[in-house]
Amino acid sequence: MLRSPLLVLAAVAVCGLLDPSPTLAADKLRVVTSITDLKALTEAVGGDLVEVDALARSTQNAHDLEARPSLMIKVRRADALVLNGLDLDDWADVVAQGANNPNVIVGARGRIDASRGLLVLEVPRARIDRSMGDVHPAGNPHYTLDPGLAAQVTQNILEGLARIAPNNRAAFERNRQQFLAGLEEAMGRWNKLLEPYKGAPIVVNHNMWLYFLTRFGLVQAGSIEERPGIPPTPSHLVKLVNQMKQERIKVIVVEPWGDLKTVKRVAEEAGAQAAVLASSVGALKGTDTYINWVDSNVKMLAQALK
Amino acid sequence: MRRLVAVALVVGLLAPALPVHAQDTEAIRRDMEQMRKQFEAMQEQYRKTMETMADRLQRLESQGQQTTTTPVAAPPVTAQLPPPTPPGGSPPSPMDLIRPRQPFALYERRGPGQLLFDMGVTGDFIGNLTQSNVEKNQGGSFSGLENLFFPREVELSFFGQVDPYARAEVRIESGQGSRNDELTVSLAEANLTLMTLPFGTQLKMGRVRNRFGLLNELHSHDRPFIDDPNVLVQFFGRDGLRENGFEATWVPDLPFYLQVLGGVFNGENGVAFGRNTLRHPLATGRVRTFFDLGDFGAIQLGSSIANGDTPEQKSSTIIGFDMKYKYTPTGWQRALFTAYGEYLLSLRDVLVTDSDGIDQTRHRNRQGFYVGADVRPFAHGELSKWLLGFRYDWTQYPVNPGQEWAVGPFLAYYPSEFLRFRLGYKHTERTNCCSYLNFADNGGSARRVDEIFLQATFILGAHPTHPF
Repeated sequence: MLRSPLLVLAAVAVCGLLDPSPTLAADKLRVVTSITDLKALTEAVGGDLVEVDALARSTQNAHDLEARPSLMIKVRRADALVLNGLDLDDWADVVAQGANNPNVIVGARGRIDASRGLLVLEVPRARIDRSMGDVHPAGNPHYTLDPGLAAQVTQNILEGLARIAPNNRAAFERNRQQFLAGLEEAMGRWNKLLEPYKGAPIVVNHNMWLYFLTRFGLVQAGSIEERPGIPPTPSHLVKLVNQMKQERIKVIVVEPWGDLKTVKRVAEEAGAQAAVLASSVGALKGTDTYINWVDSNVKMLAQALK
Repeated sequence: MRRLVAVALVVGLLAPALPVHAQDTEAIRRDMEQMRKQFEAMQEQYRKTMETMADRLQRLESQGQQTTTTPVAAPPVTAQLPPPTPPGGSPPSPMDLIRPRQPFALYERRGPGQLLFDMGVTGDFIGNLTQSNVEKNQGGSFSGLENLFFPREVELSFFGQVDPYARAEVRIESGQGSRNDELTVSLAEANLTLMTLPFGTQLKMGRVRNRFGLLNELHSHDRPFIDDPNVLVQFFGRDGLRENGFEATWVPDLPFYLQVLGGVFNGENGVAFGRNTLRHPLATGRVRTFFDLGDFGAIQLGSSIANGDTPEQKSSTIIGFDMKYKYTPTGWQRALFTAYGEYLLSLRDVLVTDSDGIDQTRHRNRQGFYVGADVRPFAHGELSKWLLGFRYDWTQYPVNPGQEWAVGPFLAYYPSEFLRFRLGYKHTERTNCCSYLNFADNGGSARRVDEIFLQATFILGAHPTHPF
């Protein structure tokens, strides 16, 4: 008696597992991005026409993510993969390979490099090697922190999405223009808020805030990490504290995943304060969209600089 | 058999042609058109930027004022930034700020003269100290290299995309095999992976480290332990399972990760198989799945099988089960805690000569396992460079009677991602020893072995990210 219902249940369960699109509307593009900043920008361009997921969590350091199979399953069914590029998310290659999805491998149409055509900072002009730490040979990859570059980044995303869904190009264009209009309005506000602090020196934990600081006329005067990716030596920290005292540097900017203990200790000794800013969209409460994210960072930094 | 090989060849040759349909002429034309537009936009942007800068310069010169220079950020910004607003000049409009800045340093991933693939060098050096009787009997973990400091593996690797459909990997390695040997250079791996096959499949062909269990596919320097687990050495030999042939993987479209793998190889491994012919190939299979356990934990479970013939034309099958768990809380760039384990079962027919000198076939069911764990107690600072681990081994011998167990703690220090030092101790006890374990039978005893290891490993250049 029991066997038949059990067989039916098992068959239903198997069918459910094999259903290729259990929850998604058929006409939506499935897009996966390496980091949450790009997820927010892709959502801004794609609107209701895309379903976007990010590989890295907002609280993770995206430099060296582990290529977990759970990430591969996200990419397995993706129509497009949006990458930061500039060697920040090379791990996404391993994810794409392990996903067995030809739509998003290197050279495929669904592969979108968001960094194309950008003005990249800190592109090495001289020979570099690993004695300088985990340097990025293609330049500083943290351009998503600069709202001024969002126009080009969203343009790259738009071109990529339109490549795989050309019929939706007009809708993507509309969404992008709407997003940029909101950004322009916010940019005026942010500029005004940070205007009084132009030229102010700031110390950072990891060298990832350069685009953000430069955009608003602030100056990165030093970093807790003496060399990228390598914990600082005590002598470097002593030197940094002295420099901060001499130059009256008021703020150290640190990411939520950074070494907060060391940063607070240095800030305390130098008479400055540590400002924990959201390094990615969603890293802190109230930073769930791109504009909210920049807004939160600008306000927190302005508050710290007071 | 011939039919199978013929079908495989046809599939292999036809497969790369499939995605050509995807890259239709129309799409390429559209891409070219977009690129043309982008190029024109960039030209226009250059022109406007130069005009703006000329205007500002003129204004500054006419006002006779000094330009306030923004202090140079440290480390240096090599790319040009928007020029500082001159005092008294009009501030930039929000649109000026949103607009992309001057592309003085446009980034190009692959410019002229650059290599179109990646390459890297890794070096793995081992020093070990043990009792003299163990050295005499060559019964240490690095048999024949006891009480020596030696290069275990120096590897030159090339990897990258061949074309839009395939990637390739070539690894050439050198290392010292025994005390008085010259260094040997060999082709460790050379394979091609077809990436664009339909239905979530990929095909890898060439010389590979077989994806059997957790550790076999990893190169020695990438393994989480200094020496190889005893069960792997006993069942597959010191070089592990490395074969020529092809293997296909399939990742079905399921809500959870499942990878199914099947392969056909020559069967060159002399310890477990050794028939070395495609007429009686070594067939391999593996199933691997993975689950996230909350935000920070993750577990991978796998099962593998390899079936082939020994040179005596007897059947040999090895079945394996493996597990890996990692716990990586927020703030930890590497896992705080990792646990590993593999269990292997060998089912093998062997030829035995009885007391009357008659050859008889006997069946051997032998098993072994290892479990290990490591912990990195600190997330940040100098202490985050340290890691503490251990491994416990137990294994029977695949053909001969007897068994051995071992336990070994180790301490690792990572000055950076590209440099590692490890110091370890290992205690081994064997019930039987030693001539039939392929050790030298020269009167020494290696039933109890105590060893101290020192390992130094470096990576130069590119190194591919390893999967979980």
